[in-house]
Amino acid sequence: MPAEAVRAIRERALPEGGFRSRVQGGFRSDATAWAVLALRQAGQEAELWQEGAASLAAGQLPDGRIPVSPQHPEAFHPTPVAVLAWQGLPEFQTASRRAVEFLLAATGKHFPRKSDDPAEHDTAIPGWPWIADTHSWVEPTALTLLALSAAGFLDHPRVHDGRRLLLDRQLPQGGWNYGNTRVFGVTLQAMPDSTGVALTALARGVPRAQVAASLEYLHREVSRLRTPRSLGWALVGLSAWGERPPAAEAWLRACLRRQEVAPYETESLAVAALALCPQGGLLPWEGGTM
Amino acid sequence: MTLSRRAFVLGTLGGAALAWSGYALRRQLRRRAWTERVFIGRAPDYGMDLTGLMLAGFREVGLRAEEVQGRRVLLKPNLVETAEGKPQINTHPAVIRAAAEVFRRMGAGEVVVAEGPGHVRDTHLVLEQSGYAEMLRAERLAFVDLNYDDGVRVKNAGGWSRLRHLTLPASLLEADFVVSVAKLKTHHWAGVTLSMKNLFGVLPGSYYGWPKNVLHWAGIPQCILDVTATVRPHLAIVDGIVGMEGDGPIMGPPKAAGVLVLGRNLPAVDATCARVMGVDPWRLSYLARADGHLGPVGEAAILQVGEPISAVATPFALLDVIPAHRGLRRKP
Repeated sequence: MPAEAVRAIRERALPEGGFRSRVQGGFRSDATAWAVLALRQAGQEAELWQEGAASLAAGQLPDGRIPVSPQHPEAFHPTPVAVLAWQGLPEFQTASRRAVEFLLAATGKHFPRKSDDPAEHDTAIPGWPWIADTHSWVEPTALTLLALSAAGFLDHPRVHDGRRLLLDRQLPQGGWNYGNTRVFGVTLQAMPDSTGVALTALARGVPRAQVAASLEYLHREVSRLRTPRSLGWALVGLSAWGERPPAAEAWLRACLRRQEVAPYETESLAVAALALCPQGGLLPWEGGTM
Repeated sequence: MTLSRRAFVLGTLGGAALAWSGYALRRQLRRRAWTERVFIGRAPDYGMDLTGLMLAGFREVGLRAEEVQGRRVLLKPNLVETAEGKPQINTHPAVIRAAAEVFRRMGAGEVVVAEGPGHVRDTHLVLEQSGYAEMLRAERLAFVDLNYDDGVRVKNAGGWSRLRHLTLPASLLEADFVVSVAKLKTHHWAGVTLSMKNLFGVLPGSYYGWPKNVLHWAGIPQCILDVTATVRPHLAIVDGIVGMEGDGPIMGPPKAAGVLVLGRNLPAVDATCARVMGVDPWRLSYLARADGHLGPVGEAAILQVGEPISAVATPFALLDVIPAHRGLRRKP
């Protein structure tokens, strides 16, 4: 991992354990889970990531979820990232199992699509939401698929539904956005980071032909991406399918050395750091230090 | 003394009726007394002297330097998605640049730009592709990505939706003077998006999701009112130089309206913008409900300064296929 990324993530560490999302601010479980993942992958700052992993477990609620903060139990989207961050750590096996049980029971709001619904995706397929009592969207569904795969639930019915949801939300021209495809008869735009995370979650789960247009979309976009989140996810997604561009590392290093408009949030730095791993760093059944 | 059940019920009902009529009377009186000034400036393109136009507008709406001197001013643009070659999607960076310059000239202690886009998790990508990154660097303006800011739970001061609390970003609460710098656009769920709807962007995605689906389930019009009542911005500026018509807020075509609209009261500014767009503000449920609570909406209660509405009004295309657009057209 480049020294810049390690330094930036290290600067977000809190004395009591865990990480901030920004240069200033308080503990955030989402930032902590991503920082632990990135530092473990890089094999650096063991004390910091161990404290971070412990702080995630300390913030786990009785039902197994890991909320963004104790005041916001409804914002449970850090849960799958925490499962990935704890992967292979015996001391967090129980916490991880409880988190997985929560994820298997949790779902977004789903309902049969009415014929006059302006949104054209299949609203009945169960996936995972960002926030409790809302609809399921692409990124939380993809991250949960990765977490459940890491926990050995590759063939669970929820995993099959999650894959089905992602394929249903794939844009006709290839790629994904946050999770709407066509609204009022108009096809929406793809986004590189959403596409990268969805492709990562679908790797080894569906045939290439089903996502070929999305891989092509990323191949077209990736060389002009200059921000760590979009470039990082694009490369993680392509790497998951064995299609990592040869210039990937050079692009990432240049991206992290650019003068930023404002400090990148911890998660973006972590995704870029993970993307430096030749396998993309997030496939639970491959490589790295996991 | 004993009170019969009938007398008790009648007394209670009478008391409630009296309280209601008192409330209605107070609201009516308040509505009559509440007037606001809204400035409309003609701005044919983004290359013009927007700073001069904004300064003139600030004077017209009575904004004094003492209000911002030494203070932290937060400019909240409307940044929705990446926008290469589509100036109609986001508040143009030239408008933010001009606003920052004016506040700096007025003696603001610090000017920051802050936004939490609703669809895109990579705010930096939006900054790069919308021309903001270049502008922010050139003007040495700080940017805060509100989507990842720490959230602070506050009481929902509006009470229109079922949400009892809202989670606001710490950076917003630290600001002394908040400006909603919106875009003049149609919107396929809300009818139009102006300075009030623009405030959805202050709610951090970390606590509301991408999209901010919590607000959709709680009711978009109700949440527009709640967020406006809770954030209470000090000023609204609407970029109508190039707006968006049709299937807004992302997929519609550009509409050159050539105006910059600003004022200190958000419902008054949005009602004026609606009239410029050929939309009847009373038919926008959230504006109709805002009247008398958050500001005036009636034409007689808004003192238009600068250009009159009639000189700049240009009907924005509304689509019959979109339920939120039906019946919005203002009768001439």
